Amino acid sequence: MMRETWQRLKSDPYGLSGLIVVSVFFLIASCVWSGLLGQGWYEVSGTRWEGISAEHWFGTNLIGQDILQRTLFGTATAFEVGLTVTICSTLLGTVMGALSGWYNHSWLDEIILWLKGVLDAIPFYLFAAAVAFALQGSPWAMHVAMIVTFWTTTARIIRGEVIRIKQRGFIEAARAIGLPGLKTVFRHVLPNTFHLLLVQASIVFVAAINTEVILSFLGLGIQDGVSWGLMLAESSQEVLAGHFGNFLAAGTALFLLLMGFNLLADALQDALDSRRIVR
Amino acid sequence: MLGVTFISFLLMVYFGPDKTYELLGKNPTEEQIREVRHELGYDRPFLVRYGDYLRELVTFDLGLSDSNGEPVAAILARTLPVSLALVLPGFVIGNLLGLALGLLAAWYRGKWLDKLVMSASVVGMSISFIVIIIGLQILLCTPYGLNLFPVRGWQVDGPGSYLYYVTVPTLALVLVTLGYNTRFYRAVMAEEIERDHIRTLRAYGASPAEQLFKHVLKNSLVPVLTRIMFSIPFVVISGSLLLESYFGIPGIGLVTFNAITSGDQPILKAVVGLTGILFVVALMINDMLYSLVDPRIARP
Repeated sequence: MMRETWQRLKSDPYGLSGLIVVSVFFLIASCVWSGLLGQGWYEVSGTRWEGISAEHWFGTNLIGQDILQRTLFGTATAFEVGLTVTICSTLLGTVMGALSGWYNHSWLDEIILWLKGVLDAIPFYLFAAAVAFALQGSPWAMHVAMIVTFWTTTARIIRGEVIRIKQRGFIEAARAIGLPGLKTVFRHVLPNTFHLLLVQASIVFVAAINTEVILSFLGLGIQDGVSWGLMLAESSQEVLAGHFGNFLAAGTALFLLLMGFNLLADALQDALDSRRIVR
Repeated sequence: MLGVTFISFLLMVYFGPDKTYELLGKNPTEEQIREVRHELGYDRPFLVRYGDYLRELVTFDLGLSDSNGEPVAAILARTLPVSLALVLPGFVIGNLLGLALGLLAAWYRGKWLDKLVMSASVVGMSISFIVIIIGLQILLCTPYGLNLFPVRGWQVDGPGSYLYYVTVPTLALVLVTLGYNTRFYRAVMAEEIERDHIRTLRAYGASPAEQLFKHVLKNSLVPVLTRIMFSIPFVVISGSLLLESYFGIPGIGLVTFNAITSGDQPILKAVVGLTGILFVVALMINDMLYSLVDPRIARP
């Protein structure tokens, strides 16, 4: 199935360009992690609000830090937040969804459904603020808030799929030869939900990066380091004085990455599901 | 409902900031600490404190704000209308426009118009809310753009000044929700258009308008209404939080934002609790609307 998907993805120009954009950003992030790029994001290397020059490609900010360096470092921040949140919330959502789907109509299913309903009913930014309080301003508060709220959609999708797969013949066969329940779920049911997980994970990634920007802007996000959200927060004052460096650099980078991910998610969905309605 | 209040209580009151040491001077004695904790009710059992919180919510006796001592109920009564006036136009326009574009794209499915609308909505989905706000501000509110509207503020005393202050936030809200709305509505409509009875209608020569509005739109009202009702609590709180804190508009979002940054517990408790109530009310209205638009649902 993977090869067929790859073939279909390759023949989709939008999906392919999305994949390329995401890969380029990921390469940049890897270079930042390994110390090749963006290491001078905190150095004051010029005077305030310098324009575009050979030395400062995107100019400098209020205290003379190079905006290009900060944008590059922000890429790594975005991927760090995106990957952490996506991996954790997808795992959590898969386990919860599998449990409530496999044991549906049991008390376990009821509890998980109730928990999902509650989490979906709390406005996210308030929840993030509350988590920030509860964790006493820990730098991981933002990640925790996102993981705790983002798993619900994944779990809903997986639950439905598990209930559907449960009716199929090969699961009945597994039960007939006496395979224990949980083993059946993890060995035979969940691998069949992989395509849904992949698409959902890319959607969660987009949501995580978007949310990081807004939370950082509200002062609930990244505490140390720099992110596109913090740069945009800086720029909200600067643009009134006519300094667009931060806004253009962070805004464009953010737009390109999100666009790449959206295109990739759409193409994945098309490639993995032949009878899809959108497009 | 109980769940929402329970979690908000757990997070914000039980694990929330401890005001004991703010109220005490330096080097308090053991005795003083115990006294203050007793005054704030910290030493009472967990369930009693939770019960108190529920009673406060139900009776609207929400206590006084920590920062300026004003009753929380009065603050909410003053700011809620402002927020509604701010987000309502954007919410309505965003949904109507999304519905119209969704219908259009579904009708011309696979044609260039469909592709154009869908590509535009992916672009719209990829721009962050903040980028839209700042971008619009540059274009419309500063000397670097058209400079037509105020950069921030809210001094409304009539329809003219209302339009003057509400336009830019409304545009931002429409732009940020339009992409998601259009995609959702198109998927719903495209599914409905595929149905057999619509094909029969087309074969009988019904006009496109009759097909779309009388049959497609009417039959897909259930998912459409669900989406609209469920997004109300979030638009009112989350949407206004960002818009108001950015544009400096004294609505419930700004109050919440200030409460977040200053740790004003009574206000946060009230806002979260009330959102929970709003959510449940939206759910109930939603169920009632269901039976109105689709009589089959009303029967058990």
